[in-house]
Amino acid sequence: MATATQGKGALARPARTKEVAVEVAGPSRREFLYYIWGASAVLLLGQVTAGIVWFALPRFREGEFGGVFRLPTDEVPASGSAPVAFPAGRFWLSNSDQGFLALYAVCTHLGCLPRWVDTNNRFECPCHGSKFEADGAYIEGPAPRGLDRFRVTVTFTNGDVATMDGSGAPIPLEGREIAEVAVDTGDRIMGT
Amino acid sequence: MTILPFPSFLDDVKAKGLKRAVFEGVDDVVERVTAGLNVQDIRETLRGENPSRRPNPRLQPHADGFWLHMRPSYFHRDMTGLYPTFRLGWLSTYFVFFETITGIFLMIWYTPSPTYAYSNMLNILSNVPLGQLMRDLHRLGAEAMVLIVTLHMVRTFFTGSYKKPRQFTWFTGVILLLATLFLSFSGYLLPWDQLALWAVTIGASMVEAAPPEVVGTNLDLLLRGGPEIGANGLLRFYLLHVLAVPAILFIFTGVHYYKVIIHGHSLPPQKENIGEDTAKRVPLDKRVYFIPDVLTSEIMWISVTTFILVMLSVWFFHAPLENHADPQVTPLGTTAPWYFLWIQGALKLGDKVLWGIVFPTVVFVFMMILPYLDTNPSRRYRDRRFMLSLGFLLISGTTVLSYMGLADYGVDTSADAEILHYMTHEPAHNHMGLLLPVPYDELVPGMYTTEQFAVSSDEAAAAIAALNERVDGTDLGSQIQGVLGSTYADVGALRFRAVPDDAPELVSVMESFQKQLKEEEDELHNGFGMVIISENQEGLRRVDVLIAWEEVELEQGRPVKDADGQVVPILTEDGSPTYRVSEAHIFIHRHAAYFQ
Repeated sequence: MATATQGKGALARPARTKEVAVEVAGPSRREFLYYIWGASAVLLLGQVTAGIVWFALPRFREGEFGGVFRLPTDEVPASGSAPVAFPAGRFWLSNSDQGFLALYAVCTHLGCLPRWVDTNNRFECPCHGSKFEADGAYIEGPAPRGLDRFRVTVTFTNGDVATMDGSGAPIPLEGREIAEVAVDTGDRIMGT
Repeated sequence: MTILPFPSFLDDVKAKGLKRAVFEGVDDVVERVTAGLNVQDIRETLRGENPSRRPNPRLQPHADGFWLHMRPSYFHRDMTGLYPTFRLGWLSTYFVFFETITGIFLMIWYTPSPTYAYSNMLNILSNVPLGQLMRDLHRLGAEAMVLIVTLHMVRTFFTGSYKKPRQFTWFTGVILLLATLFLSFSGYLLPWDQLALWAVTIGASMVEAAPPEVVGTNLDLLLRGGPEIGANGLLRFYLLHVLAVPAILFIFTGVHYYKVIIHGHSLPPQKENIGEDTAKRVPLDKRVYFIPDVLTSEIMWISVTTFILVMLSVWFFHAPLENHADPQVTPLGTTAPWYFLWIQGALKLGDKVLWGIVFPTVVFVFMMILPYLDTNPSRRYRDRRFMLSLGFLLISGTTVLSYMGLADYGVDTSADAEILHYMTHEPAHNHMGLLLPVPYDELVPGMYTTEQFAVSSDEAAAAIAALNERVDGTDLGSQIQGVLGSTYADVGALRFRAVPDDAPELVSVMESFQKQLKEEEDELHNGFGMVIISENQEGLRRVDVLIAWEEVELEQGRPVKDADGQVVPILTEDGSPTYRVSEAHIFIHRHAAYFQ
């Protein structure tokens, strides 16, 4: 039975393809070698492209971008006052009600630098109008998230040491006095 | 017998006489140089006569010469009028060469390095004879090229000339449009001014947003040559601008024009039957020969265009140059060039991957494959209602998005910052702060206020006196002095006075200042403006612009209104208003020459 069914199928298939069957000779040795040669040329071109990309990619030395900024306490803004820019490290120090943090000065949208507008009490980007709170939180505009932040380590006068965790939440001061601030601009934490 | 040991011109002179030998020699040279036309042929052509010998010598340069080998020897009479081509394709081609030539001249005085680029610009503008003209021509030519190429495409769309068999011609045309746009944009970075840096930062950040992340990040690095635009980025954009993209442009100009010739210039839609393409079958009585009619017309068109460009550059248009690039400050009102405003507008709508990458890609890919999608054989306007409507819809959409791309749309900031910017901003896109073009002589040191212009001229003196009293020894006065900072430590008391009568431009600036404050009355409650001019150094004056107002409740940057529609002032504990003061300043040198 099984063989019979098989035979039926084997009979049916050639009948269907018969109409479009075209007599094509198998590749000759010469033709085949051309395909192999062409494929290797394409492969070579791919390697050349990869080589060019490798050649043209910029190289950085260790520590060329980013580093740890140790700031004296007089750089730290008073709680609730306007954030203070720190152009050398491309960041803002912000001390809002939520706590203390260092915000990367570059807009998360397309790389412009938002300005702190005191009158409106927020960061405003001059390029496409994204707005951010003093603690970097997203308010409105096309930016995909709040401002990014750098990992900051705060040493308090009472000996406590607090480091920003991976969530990027501001460090609550809880009335303690800051002795030293270290901002690691090599360690960027995405805003939310 | 020859005079020299080989046949020479001297033999000719001997055989025919000097005059005839010289004439024949010249005639021969002319025929060789023109690849077919002798002096007699050229004179017949210029006189408008038919050629006197056969085969027609005016066809010879097309067959034998290099320069005309790709130009058809005759055109169809129905497409030599202004309609249907408007000469836009020819002008686009002309701009390729116009930009190349002016660009090469500018390269003589340019070094692609952040250390020198900006000073090279100043040198071109101030030291190089015709330097400013050359830069203006290159820049104006670039803008005109974008315009002409776009119009060429719009024309081709509306006359249905992209249809079979010209689909691939259209496809290469879209590549040429992209190359034109990128050339225009990459030229932006080279002066290394503020406009350059931030326009290209935005552009490169859009590339960075390309998904997936590994592609976007590495493309961005390849383009910028580092995490930020610097010396490497400038060099890369320079090489793209002067070598890579022009090479693509030249190659595809060749492909595009070859296709145009292969298929013939498409006739006006109503001149042939639906589905037919008769451009290659030009009846004898419809032929307009390239030499002399088309050639003359083409020379006329590029001459007129060059004339207009030179006139505009000499009298009306100057390529803007902003301040030296400053990676620490993004200027307020940063906008894309006008032909990219639609992308900037789209970017304000939301997600940058969607609106910055996907949206423009979809637009351009759609444009490329348009002729393969639209298989309606008819080029008649009445048969193409859907496509023509779609075309108008795209044009309207682009216009709306471009409007949204303007700095005024969606990028609002506080009223005081807007007004201070309006008064003091550096030249950008041919606009500048109101105070900048005021002549140095009119900036007489002193303190002036908009209170003088808030009332009629006979009450002005009283208004100024009232303000002097308000700020004399009061909290408001010391707050203003605090904002002015150490620069004015020695000025002592604030004493405002009337703007001198012989300073009409300063007066008109103060009047606009007052008008602006009036318009923002809600946010800048009871606000008034101050302009304080001081001699900072010999020949250098500092102009401080200040706005003081009573603070009101704001929510998301807009004043909160109470039930009566009034703003809500923020009062101190004893019920007096809280004042806010903001300031901006500029320095103006005796020899500064800002012109509107």
